[in-house]
Amino acid sequence: MTFRQARWEEPSIWDLAPTRTKDTVPEVPGVPEKFRRKEPIHWPELSELEVIRHYTRLSQMNFGIDTATYPLGSCTMKYNPKVTELLARRPGAADVHPYQPEETVQGSLEVLWRLERILARITGLPEISLQPAAGAHGEYSALLMVRAYFRDQGTLGERTEVLLPDTAHGTNPASAAMAGFTTKEIPDKDGSVDLDALRGALSKKTACFMLTNPNTAGLFESGILEIAETVHDAGAMLYYDGANLNAIMGITHPGRMGFDVAHLNLHKTFSTPHGGGGPGAGVLAAGEKLGPYLPVPRVVKEGRKFRLDYDRPKSIGKIKLAYGNFGLDLRAFAYILSHGEEGLEHVSRRAVLNSNYTASRLGKFLPRPFRTLVKHEFVLSGAPLKERGVRTLDLAKRLLDEGVHAPTVYFPSIVEESLMVELPETESKRTLDEYVAAFERAISDTPEHLHAAPHNLSVTRVDEVRAAREPLLSWKDLRAASAKAETP
Amino acid sequence: MARWIPDEPGEEAALLQALGISSTDELFTDVPKRARIGRMGVGPAKTEREVVAEVDRILGRNRTLSEFSSFLGGRVSSRYSPAAVDAIVSRSEFYTAYTPYQAEASQGVLRVLFEFQSLWVEMTGLDVANASLYDGASAAGEALLFARRLHEGERFLVPESLPWEERSVLENYASGPGLRVEGIPYDDRTGRLDLEFVRNAVAKKDVFGLLADVPNGFGHIDEGIPELKSILGDVPLVVAADPLSLSVLEAPGAYGADVVVAEGQGFGISPSFGGPLLGLFACRREHARSAPGRIVGATLDTEGRRAFCLTLTTREQHIRRSRATSNICTNDSLMALAFVVYASVVGPRGLARLQASLAEKARTLASALGSVEGLRAPRFDAPYLADFTVEVARGTADEFLDRLRRRKVLGGHSLRNPRPGAVQGPERVLVGVGESTTEKDIAKYASAATAALAAVGRSA
Repeated sequence: MTFRQARWEEPSIWDLAPTRTKDTVPEVPGVPEKFRRKEPIHWPELSELEVIRHYTRLSQMNFGIDTATYPLGSCTMKYNPKVTELLARRPGAADVHPYQPEETVQGSLEVLWRLERILARITGLPEISLQPAAGAHGEYSALLMVRAYFRDQGTLGERTEVLLPDTAHGTNPASAAMAGFTTKEIPDKDGSVDLDALRGALSKKTACFMLTNPNTAGLFESGILEIAETVHDAGAMLYYDGANLNAIMGITHPGRMGFDVAHLNLHKTFSTPHGGGGPGAGVLAAGEKLGPYLPVPRVVKEGRKFRLDYDRPKSIGKIKLAYGNFGLDLRAFAYILSHGEEGLEHVSRRAVLNSNYTASRLGKFLPRPFRTLVKHEFVLSGAPLKERGVRTLDLAKRLLDEGVHAPTVYFPSIVEESLMVELPETESKRTLDEYVAAFERAISDTPEHLHAAPHNLSVTRVDEVRAAREPLLSWKDLRAASAKAETP
Repeated sequence: MARWIPDEPGEEAALLQALGISSTDELFTDVPKRARIGRMGVGPAKTEREVVAEVDRILGRNRTLSEFSSFLGGRVSSRYSPAAVDAIVSRSEFYTAYTPYQAEASQGVLRVLFEFQSLWVEMTGLDVANASLYDGASAAGEALLFARRLHEGERFLVPESLPWEERSVLENYASGPGLRVEGIPYDDRTGRLDLEFVRNAVAKKDVFGLLADVPNGFGHIDEGIPELKSILGDVPLVVAADPLSLSVLEAPGAYGADVVVAEGQGFGISPSFGGPLLGLFACRREHARSAPGRIVGATLDTEGRRAFCLTLTTREQHIRRSRATSNICTNDSLMALAFVVYASVVGPRGLARLQASLAEKARTLASALGSVEGLRAPRFDAPYLADFTVEVARGTADEFLDRLRRRKVLGGHSLRNPRPGAVQGPERVLVGVGESTTEKDIAKYASAATAALAAVGRSA
């Protein structure tokens, strides 16, 4: 059976109807003349049905978890349970304003408080804030907390450096830099942190070591307890990037491993939908030392009543409006209630089982650069393809023709031509076997076909180089480009 | 919830057998014993029916906005969203997708984001918009860092009237690189920014940017803002604009804004206790390569068809790492979809008419509250649209609002900073109207306010 994506000849929305720039903007009482808009917003006037058809057609030219296997490594593309969508749309959840008096939002506060308590148990870190809007936002907030901590210790002047492994997500160094730290990468040894290199790099200058465990090579950092001890002996903080938490629930947790602070991605481990790139939710979890620095307000329970507490003198303050992405918090809460203790542990065990099974089968086609016991994701090297004049990118595009999403490619960068595959616990053995078969068909195809892929999607290979070299970033740019083309 | 993890009889056994192991325990031998945990203490699993019942029971402790006459305004709006918006946002091809790394498989999301960027460019009069940020406050934080990349200096000026939450977010974004956020005083009668203060500050050559919000934190339009750019010269001007207001107000690009950020929640996104919200960001063409966040560009496929992809990615964290323009990875794509669908369903004329009708209603509210003894409404003598500020002359704002609540009126929100020890201004309340506000609601507010203030008078 050949996969075919919809290929609508759908115009852009502005080409569906002429814009009415000659219309007058209504007079609004009180608006001073010099502040008045001279022309209406340049956008078409369409019927509701025209708008619905347009965006429905666009939706059909898109992969989602509901339409395709989505083995994007480090992104944990698991099924987003429908019941959580239903609950997030309840008026009791959606029709509640963040500035309503506390007496009228006891339900929302209870959701936040109970979710915090559960996440404290899952992470082993007692203090939780749900405020950050995404994983990177959580990283950034945590590093601001680390800054504030060392300021209070009087050593911020010295502790100016954040260390991270060469396998770290790109957000880690970017967040550290935004928080005012310099960064230094620690080389790996067979995919894991080289403990001697870490020892050599740690000093009085080190504020924090950022680590995800399992790491982005799919390996559990078995030296984690020594790493924690070494980092703490140097007086630095140990940060847990929770992007890969899906591998370890019920087995271990950041608290037990010795981390001081962590972020979790509710949109990964706890199944809230990724929305085509967001919204996310980047929960912060902190131990004793950094807990007092978490953003305000914190949710507290007094008797049967919940309250927003702003009386945290050491808090870094706010990092976004209101209290976090409540709609996602509620979905994650419902997800956790559904699974319970055993269910969450089963999630991790099955995710790791799926990963090892698929890795062992795909290992027949491409080399696995590190040890073969992996966690929830694994890395392959597409380097041997180069002998046939084929790159990992070609294989990724050819996989799309099979109706499955490509793995994460060219990350982690320590592996040449890398592919990073993650097939979470919600995928059946049947799906894994179909994926392996699709992978085999793709990799066995001729170099010509691989170079020319994809064929079965709404467009053929997209020229990304052209996009960057001659940026056309909006309708305004397209208008200017076509005006220029028409001028002789 | 077993249904979410496949469990066909024999399935896991077959997976284990293929690996030559007998239990998943053997997959965790790389986790040291000392790092292992016992029970987490999460509690037993529930069925879907039980979860629905439990969550509904908890949410039942909330009072929804529809149970009150609500006058909550500000950056989070409770405006009505047409059902068409949620119908599109609920398409799982959109909401279950990841960031569109594989352009060929993701033309749907990419085209939505390109339309979203285009709309924000048209609304702001600038050239380049990104594919969204987390919310209006963090977008302002990104704008602060962006301004610093364009201009030397260590001070970032913001109105003293900026809501405390946004000021706090900005101070956090400034703290990493050791920058300072400084308040610009305002005129006590009009709330207008002190342009002399700005002129003097800029003359010291250490200001790298200025943020002005339209409407401002008091809900009012500061008529001095179009003059700011001539004072600032090459110092970047950041305007934080309410998107609906841009249906009737001049595009900030036309009066010299270098960056326009916004909170976009009022366009088709439910208040949901404050999240998810939507951050918008636009800048000038020459600064595109310094912009934060994802950007979608138009290009061609190998057959010459119009196609779209993420572009200018060398700015971003996954390529540039510590030298990236921002750490943004996840943004708010789905909320950007809601924004562009809302604007398209309502249409440019509909948006302007909506803003005009809210402005009329706000005037009715102001005149009703203005005649209540013990209230100054509006507090400032300046133009306004849907929101304005009321000053409570008797008792505290919190006390006033609490008395209103007991009469089923959400009378706005207090502008005081709830952090202990914060410097407090006068007792002020930001009030706003929505489509649902009726003349009856307004009359109810006025009479509840009269009663509330009379009660304060008695207890004083």
